[in-house]
Amino acid sequence: MNAVSGTRTALAIAAGALLLATLPAWTTPAIVFLVGLVLIDSIFALSWNLLFGFTGLTTFGHAAFFAFGSYATGVALKMQAPIHFLLLLVVVALLGALFSALVGAVVLRRTAGIALAILTMALGEILHIIIGYSNVLGREDGISGIPRPVIDLLVAKVDLQAGNSYYWFLCLVCSLVAGALCWLTFGRFGRVLRSIQQDAERTAFLGMNVARYRLASFTIAGGVAALAGALYAPWVQTITPELSDTFRSAQPMLNALLGGAQSFWGPVVGTAVFAVVNFSMRTLPGLAELVVGVILLIIILVAPTGLMGLLGKLAWRMPGKLSPRRALGKLPRCRKKAIP
Amino acid sequence: MSAAIIAEGVGKNYRTIAALKTVSFSVEAGQVLAIIGPNGAGKTTLFKVLTGEVLPSHGTVRFGDVDVSRMPAHARAARGFGRTFQVARVFQNSTALDNVVVAIEARQRTAGNSPARWYQFRASQSVIAEADQALAAIGLADKRDVEARFLSHGDKKRLEMALTLALRPGVLMLDEPTAGMSPTDRNQTVELLTRIRKETGATMLLTEHDMDVVFGLADRVMVLNYGELVAIGTPAEIRANKAVRELYLGEEVDHA
Repeated sequence: MNAVSGTRTALAIAAGALLLATLPAWTTPAIVFLVGLVLIDSIFALSWNLLFGFTGLTTFGHAAFFAFGSYATGVALKMQAPIHFLLLLVVVALLGALFSALVGAVVLRRTAGIALAILTMALGEILHIIIGYSNVLGREDGISGIPRPVIDLLVAKVDLQAGNSYYWFLCLVCSLVAGALCWLTFGRFGRVLRSIQQDAERTAFLGMNVARYRLASFTIAGGVAALAGALYAPWVQTITPELSDTFRSAQPMLNALLGGAQSFWGPVVGTAVFAVVNFSMRTLPGLAELVVGVILLIIILVAPTGLMGLLGKLAWRMPGKLSPRRALGKLPRCRKKAIP
Repeated sequence: MSAAIIAEGVGKNYRTIAALKTVSFSVEAGQVLAIIGPNGAGKTTLFKVLTGEVLPSHGTVRFGDVDVSRMPAHARAARGFGRTFQVARVFQNSTALDNVVVAIEARQRTAGNSPARWYQFRASQSVIAEADQALAAIGLADKRDVEARFLSHGDKKRLEMALTLALRPGVLMLDEPTAGMSPTDRNQTVELLTRIRKETGATMLLTEHDMDVVFGLADRVMVLNYGELVAIGTPAEIRANKAVRELYLGEEVDHA
């Protein structure tokens, strides 16, 4: 990344942050609510894409961890458990990571693509059914009336029930989580993950324990998904067993594919675009699904690298930039090589 | 000189088929052993048993004093087994530089002496400098920022060699290092391997079909057929070996 594109990224992030923070001042509460959902779904999609885009693991049951986080937080808040909300979030994320590690230790023995996808899908559905039978978790009706907590910061108390404070809280936490995931993906740990995604056997022959890295990635993804779920429960205040079903698991996948799974910020872009489509079609029942389906079809046929990939291609066409292929063309060619 | 690799009675059965029967041999440290034999002779199986891709059905593999028979491939790699593949395997979507950086960082991680602080996400300057040096040594310096998938077949093989050497392996396992190469590239590879051997003193095991390469590089040659060891000895001994001539080399030696 050169200095110019670095500055551009910083500017884009600053503009986005300003837009998000001032949102309640110039839009309706309904839109603020939807943007809050986009923030939560964004980190949910990012956590799924850590597995799919950067570790090479395809899972179909990521919603199980989201639902786990939602229900754990929902029950704790509903029963007014005497625990600091920030600590509750941390504990739920850690429990989600533990749950994920246990699941991963079993299912990652069969990483051969489709088997992993089906096993994780089954996990989500099993959790869906278990919640549906559990009295404590409100059976099929779920839990409603989840209160938004008051955060005691020693010097001051922040009431998340009041005004837009929970929205700003979401902005802060989701940005921190996204930043942490970004740091992880592009750091040394992430470089190993991306190597595994590209060629697991080659990575093993660099002396890296591929199974352990996959499990670590699975654990982190599960923990972040649980945290997303934990933030979700007090935001919507009503949670139902559908949070763990296959449709819910498909959401981060669609978001990531639309935005671009190879790009770190792709899933965020995809989540936002889907939200806009759904919102603009809200008065025409059924149309949103149709439009989303057509968009996905177009993306997969025309731009398999998603919207971010498409943007990247357009950026290469700008003057002064060289695409990787054209950069290669500029190199001196010495001789033709025989390729069998 | 001590033995770098000792295989004792190793064999591998795939269900009822014995791909590799009972083979015993050893390679001295710093030596180059070439494994030859017709297709289906068990070369690749023997290779995989040594690298840890498949575990032997019977017998033991020792690496120095350590029994590695049951050790998975990554643990063997961490102990100094470097391996290249018949069709070069590199990280296609990463640049040549990033490919080598990952290998260097893998080595540092294994040794537990990474120079970078935990919060640094970019590769450290020393790692990048070392990667640049490694690329220059194999003649890929001008392609450092080209993604590996755009490289030619020969360049990918060179890059894979740089990755493997970045691990500073004690044993190099090369699966057909010149497969699919033009004569020029082939000669360059032989030169490169000779130089690596001189500079690092690494023990090398290679499978190869090209007899010029085999006899140009190897201290000893092992001949396999139907999963059995037919002969092992110096190139001169192998040339003179009657069984080998009849079985495999006959024609090529006569016309050489």
